[in-house]
Amino acid sequence: MHKIAEVEIQHDIMVANRKLAQKNQKILDNSNVFGVDVLGAIGSGKTSLIEQLIQEIKYPVAVIAGDVISKFDAGRFEQYDVPVIGLNTGKECHLDAHLVEHAFHDLPLDEVDILFIENVGNLICPVDFDLGAHMRMVVISVSEGDDTVEKHPLIFKDADLVVINKIDIAEAVGADSDKMVSDVLKLNPDVQVIKTSLKTGEGFKEIMEALEKAKNE
Amino acid sequence: MHELSMADAIVKTVIESAEKNDAIEVQEVTVEIGQMTMLNPEQIMFMVEILSEDTILKGAKFNMEEIPIEIKCESCNFEGKIDFEGIDHYAPIINCPACEGRELSITAGRECNVKNIKIEQREEDAQDS
Repeated sequence: MHKIAEVEIQHDIMVANRKLAQKNQKILDNSNVFGVDVLGAIGSGKTSLIEQLIQEIKYPVAVIAGDVISKFDAGRFEQYDVPVIGLNTGKECHLDAHLVEHAFHDLPLDEVDILFIENVGNLICPVDFDLGAHMRMVVISVSEGDDTVEKHPLIFKDADLVVINKIDIAEAVGADSDKMVSDVLKLNPDVQVIKTSLKTGEGFKEIMEALEKAKNE
Repeated sequence: MHELSMADAIVKTVIESAEKNDAIEVQEVTVEIGQMTMLNPEQIMFMVEILSEDTILKGAKFNMEEIPIEIKCESCNFEGKIDFEGIDHYAPIINCPACEGRELSITAGRECNVKNIKIEQREEDAQDS
């Protein structure tokens, strides 16, 4: 004899990730580490920006380099003699809180003040996955087209700092960087938007200042 | 494209619950997916069906229920669902429908919730539980 039963589960996978993210933030807080989730488009300059920040920032820094194949970016960071963990996401399009927590175990968090977590280059999937960082910095560039913000609104809605990079080539690629700024502000009125060229150095100091301010708040 | 990992988590959650409840078969699974997630319910459905093969879920009917976006406006305290008719998918996150304010928090629509399952149990197990 068999019986049919209905079983309530109510297990939200998104909530499960958010809980892990909260746990991650506690781990960072216990070691006085300020975590920055660096998100953005492929080729927008995320890795280059972190490289420059590693060299200029006066605090001890560590990096988690997430990528489908992470060894390339991790290798770029290792040359600056900072702790680096490469996280291969394999087939996945984003980092999640669980993967990041694993990386924490291999980092000397007590010796670090700022941890950059470079997400997979993607403006869509990482939106759903909080990692537990204190700040979400979104990096895009004019070469993705000046409609990028309008096409990917959610990532900007949750951003704490937005960097629009490669403004030195805006004219060449026919992009209006001011439009990109105003598109971000329509979605997220209070967010700081910084136009940069990592090649010429324009705007870089403002990013440093924004990070230091957020860290010390 | 993270529907595969989501589908995998859904299937694992269901199997765990089914085994705990001594199921010999899972007949139905209901999953709630928020309209604000970057998840496509049809792709999730396709992948859970593939991942269900050779498991206790094989042949189960998957019900995907979309959860509408709900917001709370910080300016005028409007709380409620957003009507999608005739507007761009994400346009509602820009302005409050009541006062056009922009200071909004999203209170629903970000779920990927395994809500419930319908299982077949052996009668003696059913009586025990």
